[in-house]
Amino acid sequence: MRRLWPTYLLASFYAFLLVLPLLVLLSASLRAPEDLFTPGLLPPKVSLEGYRAALTDYPLWRYLLNSLLVASLATLGVLLTSLLAGYGLARIPFRSQKVFFGLVVALLLVPGEVTFLPLYLLINRLDWLDTYQALILPFAASPLGVFLLRQYIKTIPEDYFDAARIDGAGHLGLIRHVALPLSAPALGALAALTFIGAWNMYLWPLVVTQSREMQTAQIAINFILNEADAVARWNVVAAASFLVLLPTLLAFLLAQRAFVKGIALGGLKG
Amino acid sequence: MIRASASTQAQARARRRKEEAWALGLLLPAFGLFFLFYVVPLGQAIWLSLHQEDLFGRDLRYSGLDNYRQVLQDPAFWRSAKTTLLFAALVVPLELLLGLLAALLVWRPYPGVALFRTLFFLTTAVPTAVAAVAWGWFLHPVGGYLNHVLRTLGLSPQPWLTNPDLALPTLAVVTAWAGVGFTAILLTAGLQNIPEEVLEAASVDGASPWTRFWRVVLPLLSPTLFLVGLLVLLKSLTAFGQIHLLTRGGPIESTMVWIYRVYQEAFFNFRFAYAAAQGLLLFLLLVVLAALQFRLLGRRVHYA
Repeated sequence: MRRLWPTYLLASFYAFLLVLPLLVLLSASLRAPEDLFTPGLLPPKVSLEGYRAALTDYPLWRYLLNSLLVASLATLGVLLTSLLAGYGLARIPFRSQKVFFGLVVALLLVPGEVTFLPLYLLINRLDWLDTYQALILPFAASPLGVFLLRQYIKTIPEDYFDAARIDGAGHLGLIRHVALPLSAPALGALAALTFIGAWNMYLWPLVVTQSREMQTAQIAINFILNEADAVARWNVVAAASFLVLLPTLLAFLLAQRAFVKGIALGGLKG
Repeated sequence: MIRASASTQAQARARRRKEEAWALGLLLPAFGLFFLFYVVPLGQAIWLSLHQEDLFGRDLRYSGLDNYRQVLQDPAFWRSAKTTLLFAALVVPLELLLGLLAALLVWRPYPGVALFRTLFFLTTAVPTAVAAVAWGWFLHPVGGYLNHVLRTLGLSPQPWLTNPDLALPTLAVVTAWAGVGFTAILLTAGLQNIPEEVLEAASVDGASPWTRFWRVVLPLLSPTLFLVGLLVLLKSLTAFGQIHLLTRGGPIESTMVWIYRVYQEAFFNFRFAYAAAQGLLLFLLLVVLAALQFRLLGRRVHYA
Protein backbone atom coordinates (compact mmCIF):
# COMPACT_ATOMS: atom_id res chain seq x y z
CA MET A 1 0.00 0.00 0.00
CA ARG A 2 1.51 3.31 -1.02
CA ARG A 3 1.51 6.17 1.41
CA LEU A 4 -1.28 8.56 0.61
CA TRP A 5 -0.58 11.71 2.58
CA PRO A 6 1.69 13.32 -0.05
CA THR A 7 -1.08 12.83 -2.61
CA TYR A 8 -3.69 14.32 -0.26
CA LEU A 9 -1.48 17.27 0.57
CA LEU A 10 -0.59 18.08 -3.01
CA ALA A 11 -4.12 17.46 -4.34
CA SER A 12 -5.69 19.67 -1.64
CA PHE A 13 -3.25 22.50 -2.27
CA TYR A 14 -3.68 22.32 -6.04
CA ALA A 15 -7.47 22.07 -5.82
CA PHE A 16 -7.50 25.12 -3.54
CA LEU A 17 -5.45 27.13 -6.04
CA LEU A 18 -7.73 26.12 -8.90
CA VAL A 19 -10.92 26.99 -7.04
CA LEU A 20 -9.50 30.21 -5.56
CA PRO A 21 -10.72 32.60 -8.31
CA LEU A 22 -14.24 31.21 -7.88
CA LEU A 23 -14.03 31.55 -4.09
CA VAL A 24 -12.94 35.16 -4.49
CA LEU A 25 -15.90 35.72 -6.82
CA LEU A 26 -18.31 34.16 -4.32
CA SER A 27 -16.82 36.30 -1.58
CA ALA A 28 -17.24 39.47 -3.67
CA SER A 29 -20.87 38.60 -4.38
CA LEU A 30 -21.59 38.42 -0.64
CA ARG A 31 -19.93 41.69 0.30
CA ALA A 32 -21.60 44.96 1.18
CA PRO A 33 -20.59 47.78 -1.21
CA GLU A 34 -18.43 49.41 1.46
CA ASP A 35 -16.56 46.13 2.11
CA LEU A 36 -15.64 45.48 -1.52
CA PHE A 37 -12.05 46.54 -1.11
CA THR A 38 -11.55 45.18 2.39
CA PRO A 39 -8.81 42.60 1.96
CA GLY A 40 -9.26 38.98 2.95
CA LEU A 41 -10.87 35.90 1.52
CA LEU A 42 -13.99 36.08 3.68
CA PRO A 43 -16.37 39.04 3.56
CA PRO A 44 -16.30 40.98 6.87
CA LYS A 45 -20.08 40.63 7.01
CA VAL A 46 -22.43 38.77 4.71
CA SER A 47 -24.65 41.01 2.60
CA LEU A 48 -27.15 39.88 -0.02
CA GLU A 49 -27.30 43.38 -1.53
CA GLY A 50 -25.38 42.23 -4.66
CA TYR A 51 -27.89 39.46 -5.34
CA ARG A 52 -30.85 41.73 -4.67
CA ALA A 53 -29.49 44.34 -7.08
CA ALA A 54 -28.56 41.75 -9.71
CA LEU A 55 -32.08 40.33 -9.68
CA THR A 56 -33.99 43.62 -9.50
CA ASP A 57 -31.84 46.04 -11.55
CA TYR A 58 -31.48 43.58 -14.40
CA PRO A 59 -33.96 41.10 -15.88
CA LEU A 60 -31.62 38.26 -14.94
CA TRP A 61 -34.45 35.70 -14.89
CA ARG A 62 -35.18 36.49 -18.48
CA TYR A 63 -31.53 35.97 -19.47
CA LEU A 64 -31.30 32.70 -17.59
CA LEU A 65 -34.57 31.56 -19.14
CA ASN A 66 -33.27 32.49 -22.61
CA SER A 67 -30.11 30.48 -22.03
CA LEU A 68 -32.07 27.55 -20.67
CA LEU A 69 -34.45 27.60 -23.64
CA VAL A 70 -31.65 27.88 -26.19
CA ALA A 71 -29.50 25.19 -24.58
CA SER A 72 -32.33 22.69 -24.04
CA LEU A 73 -33.85 23.06 -27.48
CA ALA A 74 -30.47 22.83 -29.20
CA THR A 75 -29.72 19.70 -27.14
CA LEU A 76 -33.08 18.16 -28.00
CA GLY A 77 -32.50 18.92 -31.66
CA VAL A 78 -29.03 17.40 -31.64
CA LEU A 79 -30.26 14.22 -29.92
CA LEU A 80 -33.14 13.77 -32.34
CA THR A 81 -31.32 14.55 -35.59
CA SER A 82 -28.28 12.49 -34.52
CA LEU A 83 -30.37 9.48 -33.55
CA LEU A 84 -32.30 9.48 -36.84
CA ALA A 85 -29.30 10.11 -39.08
CA GLY A 86 -27.08 7.79 -37.02
CA TYR A 87 -29.57 4.96 -37.44
CA GLY A 88 -29.99 5.72 -41.15
CA LEU A 89 -26.24 5.59 -41.72
CA ALA A 90 -25.60 2.56 -39.53
CA ARG A 91 -28.55 0.29 -40.31
CA ILE A 92 -29.97 0.94 -43.77
CA PRO A 93 -27.73 0.00 -46.68
CA PHE A 94 -28.18 2.39 -49.60
CA ARG A 95 -26.13 3.58 -52.53
CA SER A 96 -24.88 7.04 -51.51
CA GLN A 97 -24.22 6.06 -47.89
CA LYS A 98 -20.46 6.51 -48.24
CA VAL A 99 -20.95 10.02 -49.60
CA PHE A 100 -23.10 11.05 -46.65
CA PHE A 101 -20.72 9.56 -44.10
CA GLY A 102 -17.81 11.27 -45.83
CA LEU A 103 -19.69 14.55 -45.55
CA VAL A 104 -20.15 14.04 -41.79
CA VAL A 105 -16.42 13.43 -41.39
CA ALA A 106 -15.63 16.53 -43.48
CA LEU A 107 -18.00 18.65 -41.40
CA LEU A 108 -16.31 17.39 -38.24
CA LEU A 109 -13.27 19.32 -39.37
CA VAL A 110 -15.11 22.63 -39.80
CA PRO A 111 -14.30 24.83 -36.80
CA GLY A 112 -17.54 26.41 -35.62
CA GLU A 113 -16.03 29.59 -34.27
CA VAL A 114 -14.78 30.93 -37.57
CA THR A 115 -18.02 30.43 -39.46
CA PHE A 116 -19.78 33.03 -37.30
CA LEU A 117 -19.36 35.80 -39.87
CA PRO A 118 -20.88 34.01 -42.91
CA LEU A 119 -23.54 32.53 -40.62
CA TYR A 120 -24.36 36.04 -39.42
CA LEU A 121 -24.76 37.23 -43.01
CA LEU A 122 -27.09 34.31 -43.75
CA ILE A 123 -29.20 34.96 -40.64
CA ASN A 124 -29.33 38.62 -41.56
CA ARG A 125 -30.56 37.76 -45.06
CA LEU A 126 -33.21 35.44 -43.58
CA ASP A 127 -34.26 38.39 -41.41
CA TRP A 128 -33.73 36.25 -38.30
CA LEU A 129 -31.54 38.61 -36.27
CA ASP A 130 -32.66 38.81 -32.64
CA THR A 131 -34.82 35.67 -32.81
CA TYR A 132 -34.77 32.37 -30.95
CA GLN A 133 -34.46 30.37 -34.16
CA ALA A 134 -31.21 32.19 -34.93
CA LEU A 135 -29.86 31.17 -31.53
CA ILE A 136 -31.06 27.56 -31.74
CA LEU A 137 -31.36 26.20 -35.30
CA PRO A 138 -27.70 26.47 -36.37
CA PHE A 139 -26.87 24.26 -33.36
CA ALA A 140 -29.78 21.83 -33.60
CA ALA A 141 -27.70 19.29 -35.51
CA SER A 142 -24.08 18.42 -34.94
CA PRO A 143 -21.69 16.44 -37.15
CA LEU A 144 -20.11 15.06 -33.98
CA GLY A 145 -23.49 13.82 -32.78
CA VAL A 146 -24.29 12.04 -36.06
CA PHE A 147 -20.80 10.55 -36.08
CA LEU A 148 -21.00 9.30 -32.48
CA LEU A 149 -24.49 7.84 -32.84
CA ARG A 150 -23.64 6.13 -36.12
CA GLN A 151 -20.62 4.50 -34.46
CA TYR A 152 -22.65 3.51 -31.44
CA ILE A 153 -25.65 2.08 -33.29
CA LYS A 154 -23.32 0.09 -35.52
CA THR A 155 -22.12 -1.86 -32.46
CA ILE A 156 -25.64 -3.00 -31.48
CA PRO A 157 -25.93 -6.72 -32.41
CA GLU A 158 -28.27 -7.47 -35.32
CA ASP A 159 -30.21 -9.94 -33.12
CA TYR A 160 -31.87 -7.13 -31.19
CA PHE A 161 -33.18 -5.59 -34.40
CA ASP A 162 -34.27 -8.99 -35.74
CA ALA A 163 -36.29 -9.70 -32.61
CA ALA A 164 -38.15 -6.40 -33.03
CA ARG A 165 -38.61 -7.01 -36.75
CA ILE A 166 -40.30 -10.34 -36.03
CA ASP A 167 -42.70 -8.41 -33.83
CA GLY A 168 -43.55 -6.37 -36.93
CA ALA A 169 -41.60 -3.17 -36.22
CA GLY A 170 -40.69 -0.86 -39.11
CA HIS A 171 -37.72 1.54 -39.10
CA LEU A 172 -39.39 4.01 -36.75
CA GLY A 173 -40.29 1.16 -34.41
CA LEU A 174 -36.72 -0.15 -34.52
CA ILE A 175 -35.40 3.32 -33.69
CA ARG A 176 -37.85 3.82 -30.86
CA HIS A 177 -37.69 0.36 -29.29
CA VAL A 178 -34.13 -0.77 -30.04
CA ALA A 179 -31.75 2.00 -31.12
CA LEU A 180 -33.02 4.65 -28.68
CA PRO A 181 -32.90 2.62 -25.44
CA LEU A 182 -29.67 0.83 -26.33
CA SER A 183 -27.80 4.02 -27.22
CA ALA A 184 -28.93 5.81 -24.05
CA PRO A 185 -25.35 6.08 -22.69
CA ALA A 186 -24.11 7.72 -25.89
CA LEU A 187 -27.15 10.01 -25.98
CA GLY A 188 -26.62 11.01 -22.35
CA ALA A 189 -22.99 11.90 -22.94
CA LEU A 190 -23.89 13.79 -26.12
CA ALA A 191 -26.66 15.65 -24.29
CA ALA A 192 -24.29 16.79 -21.53
CA LEU A 193 -21.70 17.91 -24.06
CA THR A 194 -24.22 19.77 -26.23
CA PHE A 195 -25.99 21.45 -23.33
CA ILE A 196 -22.82 22.78 -21.77
CA GLY A 197 -21.58 23.93 -25.17
CA ALA A 198 -24.82 25.78 -25.95
CA TRP A 199 -25.09 27.28 -22.45
CA ASN A 200 -21.55 28.63 -22.74
CA MET A 201 -21.81 30.06 -26.26
CA TYR A 202 -20.50 33.60 -26.34
CA LEU A 203 -19.50 34.90 -29.75
CA TRP A 204 -22.64 33.80 -31.60
CA PRO A 205 -25.26 35.28 -29.23
CA LEU A 206 -23.13 38.41 -29.02
CA VAL A 207 -23.44 39.12 -32.75
CA VAL A 208 -26.94 37.77 -33.35
CA THR A 209 -28.89 39.33 -30.47
CA GLN A 210 -29.73 43.01 -30.45
CA SER A 211 -32.43 43.71 -27.90
CA ARG A 212 -31.86 43.12 -24.21
CA GLU A 213 -34.79 40.70 -23.94
CA MET A 214 -33.18 38.32 -26.40
CA GLN A 215 -29.77 38.20 -24.77
CA THR A 216 -28.49 35.02 -23.19
CA ALA A 217 -26.96 34.96 -19.72
CA GLN A 218 -23.39 35.01 -21.04
CA ILE A 219 -23.98 38.19 -23.01
CA ALA A 220 -25.91 39.76 -20.16
CA ILE A 221 -22.77 39.38 -18.03
CA ASN A 222 -20.91 41.46 -20.59
CA PHE A 223 -23.16 44.46 -20.30
CA ILE A 224 -23.74 44.12 -16.55
CA LEU A 225 -19.96 44.20 -16.30
CA ASN A 226 -19.78 47.31 -18.49
CA GLU A 227 -22.45 49.14 -16.53
CA ALA A 228 -21.65 48.07 -13.00
CA ASP A 229 -17.87 48.18 -13.39
CA ALA A 230 -18.10 51.84 -14.33
CA VAL A 231 -19.54 52.62 -10.90
CA ALA A 232 -17.52 49.92 -9.09
CA ARG A 233 -20.58 47.80 -8.24
CA TRP A 234 -18.45 44.67 -8.31
CA ASN A 235 -20.64 42.89 -5.79
CA VAL A 236 -23.50 43.10 -8.31
CA VAL A 237 -21.33 41.83 -11.20
CA ALA A 238 -20.08 38.99 -9.01
CA ALA A 239 -23.58 38.06 -7.83
CA ALA A 240 -24.94 38.04 -11.39
CA SER A 241 -22.02 35.87 -12.53
CA PHE A 242 -22.57 33.46 -9.70
CA LEU A 243 -26.24 33.12 -10.59
CA VAL A 244 -25.23 32.35 -14.18
CA LEU A 245 -22.67 29.81 -12.99
CA LEU A 246 -25.12 28.03 -10.69
CA PRO A 247 -27.12 26.05 -13.31
CA THR A 248 -24.06 24.54 -15.03
CA LEU A 249 -22.41 23.95 -11.67
CA LEU A 250 -25.47 22.06 -10.42
CA ALA A 251 -25.79 20.14 -13.69
CA PHE A 252 -22.12 19.22 -13.44
CA LEU A 253 -22.36 18.05 -9.84
CA LEU A 254 -25.50 16.02 -10.52
CA ALA A 255 -24.41 14.49 -13.82
CA GLN A 256 -20.64 14.47 -13.51
CA ARG A 257 -20.37 11.02 -15.06
CA ALA A 258 -22.26 12.05 -18.20
CA PHE A 259 -20.23 15.28 -18.41
CA VAL A 260 -16.93 13.48 -18.10
CA LYS A 261 -17.98 10.81 -20.54
CA GLY A 262 -19.29 13.39 -22.98
CA ILE A 263 -16.03 15.30 -22.93
CA ALA A 264 -13.97 12.12 -23.18
CA LEU A 265 -16.06 11.06 -26.18
CA GLY A 266 -16.32 14.48 -27.76
CA GLY A 267 -12.74 15.33 -26.92
CA LEU A 268 -11.79 12.80 -29.51
CA LYS A 269 -12.98 15.52 -31.80
CA GLY A 270 -13.44 18.61 -29.63
CA MET B 1 -38.46 -21.14 -57.66
CA ILE B 2 -37.17 -20.27 -61.15
CA ARG B 3 -40.57 -19.19 -62.30
CA ALA B 4 -40.85 -16.62 -59.52
CA SER B 5 -37.57 -14.88 -60.32
CA ALA B 6 -38.93 -12.05 -62.48
CA SER B 7 -41.50 -10.96 -59.98
CA THR B 8 -39.17 -11.37 -56.98
CA GLN B 9 -36.58 -9.27 -58.74
CA ALA B 10 -39.10 -6.50 -59.25
CA GLN B 11 -40.15 -6.89 -55.64
CA ALA B 12 -36.55 -6.67 -54.47
CA ARG B 13 -36.00 -3.55 -56.53
CA ALA B 14 -39.11 -1.93 -55.11
CA ARG B 15 -37.99 -2.87 -51.62
CA ARG B 16 -34.54 -1.47 -52.18
CA ARG B 17 -36.02 1.79 -53.43
CA LYS B 18 -38.27 1.95 -50.38
CA GLU B 19 -35.30 1.37 -48.08
CA GLU B 20 -33.38 4.13 -49.81
CA ALA B 21 -36.28 6.51 -49.37
CA TRP B 22 -36.33 5.64 -45.66
CA ALA B 23 -32.61 6.24 -45.30
CA LEU B 24 -32.76 9.63 -47.04
CA GLY B 25 -35.80 10.62 -44.99
CA LEU B 26 -34.00 9.80 -41.75
CA LEU B 27 -30.89 11.70 -42.86
CA LEU B 28 -32.87 14.73 -43.99
CA PRO B 29 -33.26 16.65 -40.67
CA ALA B 30 -29.56 16.51 -39.83
CA PHE B 31 -28.26 17.06 -43.35
CA GLY B 32 -30.81 19.75 -44.14
CA LEU B 33 -29.50 21.75 -41.16
CA PHE B 34 -25.90 21.00 -42.14
CA PHE B 35 -26.54 22.26 -45.64
CA LEU B 36 -28.27 25.43 -44.49
CA PHE B 37 -25.93 26.36 -41.64
CA TYR B 38 -22.56 24.98 -42.74
CA VAL B 39 -22.44 24.63 -46.51
CA VAL B 40 -24.40 27.72 -47.55
CA PRO B 41 -22.56 30.17 -45.21
CA LEU B 42 -19.21 28.78 -46.22
CA GLY B 43 -20.02 29.25 -49.88
CA GLN B 44 -21.31 32.72 -49.16
CA ALA B 45 -18.13 33.64 -47.29
CA ILE B 46 -15.95 32.50 -50.17
CA TRP B 47 -18.10 34.42 -52.64
CA LEU B 48 -18.03 37.53 -50.46
CA SER B 49 -14.28 37.41 -49.97
CA LEU B 50 -13.86 37.70 -53.74
CA HIS B 51 -15.77 40.99 -53.85
CA GLN B 52 -15.20 44.59 -52.86
CA GLU B 53 -17.81 46.74 -51.22
CA ASP B 54 -18.21 50.51 -51.17
CA LEU B 55 -17.92 52.61 -48.01
CA PHE B 56 -21.42 51.71 -46.90
CA GLY B 57 -20.94 47.98 -47.30
CA ARG B 58 -23.15 47.90 -50.38
CA ASP B 59 -22.56 47.75 -54.12
CA LEU B 60 -20.50 44.61 -54.26
CA ARG B 61 -18.35 44.13 -57.30
CA TYR B 62 -16.14 41.20 -58.20
CA SER B 63 -12.49 41.83 -57.42
CA GLY B 64 -10.82 38.44 -57.55
CA LEU B 65 -8.14 37.91 -54.93
CA ASP B 66 -7.76 41.62 -54.13
CA ASN B 67 -9.02 41.23 -50.56
CA TYR B 68 -6.55 38.46 -49.85
CA ARG B 69 -3.71 40.47 -51.39
CA GLN B 70 -4.71 43.41 -49.24
CA VAL B 71 -4.94 41.30 -46.07
CA LEU B 72 -1.49 39.82 -46.66
CA GLN B 73 -0.03 43.32 -47.05
CA ASP B 74 -1.79 44.66 -43.97
CA PRO B 75 0.65 45.05 -41.07
CA ALA B 76 -2.32 45.02 -38.65
CA PHE B 77 -3.25 41.56 -39.91
CA TRP B 78 0.26 40.23 -39.38
CA ARG B 79 0.37 41.75 -35.92
CA SER B 80 -2.83 39.95 -34.95
CA ALA B 81 -1.61 36.69 -36.52
CA LYS B 82 1.58 36.98 -34.47
CA THR B 83 -0.37 37.77 -31.31
CA THR B 84 -2.58 34.73 -31.90
CA LEU B 85 0.36 32.38 -32.31
CA LEU B 86 2.11 33.82 -29.27
CA PHE B 87 -1.08 33.40 -27.27
CA ALA B 88 -1.39 29.77 -28.41
CA ALA B 89 2.29 29.15 -27.64
CA LEU B 90 1.63 30.29 -24.06
CA VAL B 91 -1.72 28.55 -23.55
CA VAL B 92 -0.93 25.09 -24.95
CA PRO B 93 2.04 24.10 -22.75
CA LEU B 94 0.54 25.76 -19.69
CA GLU B 95 -2.84 24.08 -20.05
CA LEU B 96 -1.25 20.69 -20.75
CA LEU B 97 0.99 21.02 -17.71
CA LEU B 98 -1.82 22.09 -15.38
CA GLY B 99 -4.12 19.38 -16.73
CA LEU B 100 -1.45 16.69 -16.50
CA LEU B 101 -0.73 17.54 -12.88
CA ALA B 102 -4.44 17.26 -12.06
CA ALA B 103 -4.79 14.02 -14.04
CA LEU B 104 -1.81 12.43 -12.29
CA LEU B 105 -3.34 13.27 -8.92
CA VAL B 106 -6.65 11.55 -9.65
CA TRP B 107 -5.56 8.85 -12.05
CA ARG B 108 -5.67 5.87 -9.69
CA PRO B 109 -8.39 5.28 -7.14
CA TYR B 110 -7.90 6.07 -3.45
CA PRO B 111 -10.36 7.05 -0.74
CA GLY B 112 -11.55 10.57 -1.53
CA VAL B 113 -10.46 10.57 -5.17
CA ALA B 114 -14.03 11.37 -6.30
CA LEU B 115 -13.92 14.70 -4.46
CA PHE B 116 -10.63 15.70 -6.04
CA ARG B 117 -11.86 14.64 -9.47
CA THR B 118 -14.88 16.88 -9.01
CA LEU B 119 -12.69 19.82 -8.01
CA PHE B 120 -10.17 19.32 -10.82
CA PHE B 121 -12.80 18.78 -13.52
CA LEU B 122 -14.94 21.65 -12.22
CA THR B 123 -13.72 24.31 -14.64
CA THR B 124 -15.47 22.50 -17.52
CA ALA B 125 -18.71 23.69 -15.91
CA VAL B 126 -17.61 27.34 -15.70
CA PRO B 127 -18.84 29.44 -18.64
CA THR B 128 -16.17 31.58 -20.29
CA ALA B 129 -17.99 34.75 -19.31
CA VAL B 130 -18.06 33.73 -15.62
CA ALA B 131 -14.40 32.70 -15.75
CA ALA B 132 -13.57 36.11 -17.20
CA VAL B 133 -15.48 37.97 -14.48
CA ALA B 134 -13.94 35.85 -11.71
CA TRP B 135 -10.44 36.57 -12.99
CA GLY B 136 -11.25 40.20 -13.72
CA TRP B 137 -12.01 40.64 -10.03
CA PHE B 138 -9.19 38.34 -8.87
CA LEU B 139 -6.74 40.52 -10.83
CA HIS B 140 -8.41 43.86 -10.07
CA PRO B 141 -5.68 46.49 -9.59
CA VAL B 142 -7.19 47.83 -6.34
CA GLY B 143 -9.43 45.20 -4.78
CA GLY B 144 -7.94 42.13 -6.45
CA TYR B 145 -6.93 39.24 -4.26
CA LEU B 146 -3.74 38.52 -6.21
CA ASN B 147 -2.32 42.00 -5.72
CA HIS B 148 -3.34 41.80 -2.07
CA VAL B 149 -1.29 38.61 -1.70
CA LEU B 150 1.64 40.24 -3.52
CA ARG B 151 1.50 43.25 -1.19
CA THR B 152 1.40 40.95 1.85
CA LEU B 153 4.50 39.17 0.54
CA GLY B 154 6.23 42.55 0.12
CA LEU B 155 6.07 42.47 -3.67
CA SER B 156 4.70 45.27 -5.82
CA PRO B 157 1.16 44.90 -7.19
CA GLN B 158 0.84 44.63 -10.98
CA PRO B 159 -1.61 46.11 -13.50
CA TRP B 160 -2.26 42.63 -14.90
CA LEU B 161 -4.67 43.50 -17.68
CA THR B 162 -3.77 47.12 -18.42
CA ASN B 163 -0.04 46.72 -18.99
CA PRO B 164 0.55 45.92 -22.71
CA ASP B 165 3.40 43.55 -21.83
CA LEU B 166 1.41 41.67 -19.20
CA ALA B 167 -2.06 41.51 -20.73
CA LEU B 168 -1.51 38.67 -23.21
CA PRO B 169 0.32 36.34 -20.78
CA THR B 170 -2.35 37.09 -18.18
CA LEU B 171 -5.10 36.18 -20.64
CA ALA B 172 -3.17 32.98 -21.43
CA VAL B 173 -3.24 32.03 -17.74
CA VAL B 174 -6.98 32.74 -17.54
CA THR B 175 -7.55 30.62 -20.66
CA ALA B 176 -5.40 27.75 -19.40
CA TRP B 177 -7.21 27.86 -16.06
CA ALA B 178 -10.59 27.66 -17.80
CA GLY B 179 -9.35 24.66 -19.79
CA VAL B 180 -7.81 22.65 -16.94
CA GLY B 181 -10.96 20.58 -16.39
CA PHE B 182 -11.16 19.69 -20.06
CA THR B 183 -7.51 18.59 -20.40
CA ALA B 184 -7.59 16.84 -17.02
CA ILE B 185 -10.56 14.71 -18.09
CA LEU B 186 -8.94 13.68 -21.38
CA LEU B 187 -5.55 13.01 -19.80
CA THR B 188 -7.09 11.01 -16.95
CA ALA B 189 -8.79 8.84 -19.56
CA GLY B 190 -5.46 8.50 -21.35
CA LEU B 191 -3.66 7.50 -18.16
CA GLN B 192 -6.32 4.93 -17.36
CA ASN B 193 -5.67 3.29 -20.72
CA ILE B 194 -2.11 2.44 -19.70
CA PRO B 195 -2.13 -1.31 -18.97
CA GLU B 196 -1.72 -2.12 -15.27
CA GLU B 197 0.73 -4.96 -16.08
CA VAL B 198 3.21 -2.56 -17.64
CA LEU B 199 3.23 -0.41 -14.51
CA GLU B 200 3.52 -3.44 -12.25
CA ALA B 201 6.38 -4.81 -14.32
CA ALA B 202 8.23 -1.52 -13.89
CA SER B 203 7.66 -1.60 -10.13
CA VAL B 204 8.85 -5.19 -9.89
CA ASP B 205 11.99 -4.18 -11.75
CA GLY B 206 12.59 -1.72 -8.93
CA ALA B 207 11.89 1.52 -10.79
CA SER B 208 11.30 4.51 -8.51
CA PRO B 209 8.05 6.44 -9.05
CA TRP B 210 10.11 9.18 -10.67
CA THR B 211 11.80 6.86 -13.21
CA ARG B 212 8.50 5.10 -13.76
CA PHE B 213 6.89 8.40 -14.67
CA TRP B 214 9.60 9.47 -17.14
CA ARG B 215 10.36 6.06 -18.63
CA VAL B 216 6.96 4.36 -18.67
CA VAL B 217 4.01 6.67 -18.07
CA LEU B 218 5.09 9.66 -20.16
CA PRO B 219 6.09 7.69 -23.29
CA LEU B 220 2.85 5.70 -23.17
CA LEU B 221 0.83 8.85 -22.64
CA SER B 222 2.59 10.89 -25.32
CA PRO B 223 0.14 10.09 -28.17
CA THR B 224 -2.74 11.28 -25.96
CA LEU B 225 -0.74 14.32 -24.88
CA PHE B 226 -0.09 15.20 -28.50
CA LEU B 227 -3.73 14.83 -29.45
CA VAL B 228 -4.96 16.84 -26.45
CA GLY B 229 -2.31 19.45 -27.24
CA LEU B 230 -3.70 19.75 -30.75
CA LEU B 231 -7.22 20.16 -29.36
CA VAL B 232 -6.08 22.88 -26.97
CA LEU B 233 -4.25 24.57 -29.84
CA LEU B 234 -7.44 24.63 -31.94
CA LYS B 235 -9.40 26.06 -29.00
CA SER B 236 -6.81 28.72 -28.20
CA LEU B 237 -6.64 29.90 -31.82
CA THR B 238 -10.33 30.82 -31.62
CA ALA B 239 -10.49 32.13 -28.03
CA PHE B 240 -12.81 35.11 -27.97
CA GLY B 241 -15.09 35.50 -24.93
CA GLN B 242 -12.43 36.10 -22.30
CA ILE B 243 -10.66 38.62 -24.55
CA HIS B 244 -13.88 40.46 -25.32
CA LEU B 245 -14.78 40.69 -21.63
CA LEU B 246 -11.38 41.46 -20.15
CA THR B 247 -9.34 43.53 -22.60
CA ARG B 248 -11.31 44.17 -25.84
CA GLY B 249 -8.12 43.59 -27.80
CA GLY B 250 -6.23 46.26 -25.84
CA PRO B 251 -4.24 47.77 -24.28
CA ILE B 252 -2.80 49.21 -27.50
CA GLU B 253 -3.80 46.11 -29.47
CA SER B 254 -1.59 43.83 -27.35
CA THR B 255 -4.40 41.23 -27.16
CA MET B 256 -5.87 41.81 -30.61
CA VAL B 257 -5.95 38.20 -31.79
CA TRP B 258 -6.92 37.06 -35.27
CA ILE B 259 -10.55 36.20 -34.57
CA TYR B 260 -11.01 39.41 -32.60
CA ARG B 261 -9.78 41.38 -35.60
CA VAL B 262 -12.28 39.57 -37.85
CA TYR B 263 -15.01 40.51 -35.37
CA GLN B 264 -13.87 44.11 -35.31
CA GLU B 265 -13.46 44.51 -39.06
CA ALA B 266 -16.98 43.15 -39.55
CA PHE B 267 -18.96 44.68 -36.72
CA PHE B 268 -17.14 47.96 -36.06
CA ASN B 269 -15.58 48.86 -39.40
CA PHE B 270 -18.37 47.16 -41.40
CA ARG B 271 -15.85 45.80 -43.90
CA PHE B 272 -17.58 42.46 -44.28
CA ALA B 273 -15.77 41.33 -47.43
CA TYR B 274 -12.39 42.14 -45.94
CA ALA B 275 -13.33 40.41 -42.68
CA ALA B 276 -14.53 37.36 -44.63
CA ALA B 277 -11.13 37.08 -46.32
CA GLN B 278 -9.35 37.29 -42.95
CA GLY B 279 -11.75 34.79 -41.44
CA LEU B 280 -11.27 32.32 -44.29
CA LEU B 281 -7.49 32.45 -43.86
CA LEU B 282 -7.93 31.53 -40.20
CA PHE B 283 -10.40 28.88 -41.27
CA LEU B 284 -7.80 27.33 -43.59
CA LEU B 285 -5.25 27.17 -40.80
CA LEU B 286 -7.75 25.48 -38.48
CA VAL B 287 -8.92 22.97 -41.08
CA VAL B 288 -5.33 21.89 -41.72
CA LEU B 289 -4.80 21.38 -37.99
CA ALA B 290 -8.13 19.57 -37.59
CA ALA B 291 -7.35 17.29 -40.52
CA LEU B 292 -4.00 16.44 -38.94
CA GLN B 293 -5.77 15.62 -35.70
CA PHE B 294 -8.30 13.46 -37.48
CA ARG B 295 -5.61 11.50 -39.29
CA LEU B 296 -3.90 10.79 -35.99
CA LEU B 297 -7.19 9.81 -34.44
CA GLY B 298 -8.04 7.52 -37.34
CA ARG B 299 -5.01 5.47 -36.44
CA ARG B 300 -6.09 5.10 -32.84
CA VAL B 301 -9.85 4.80 -33.06
CA HIS B 302 -11.55 2.28 -35.24
CA TYR B 303 -14.46 3.83 -37.07
CA ALA B 304 -15.07 2.03 -40.36
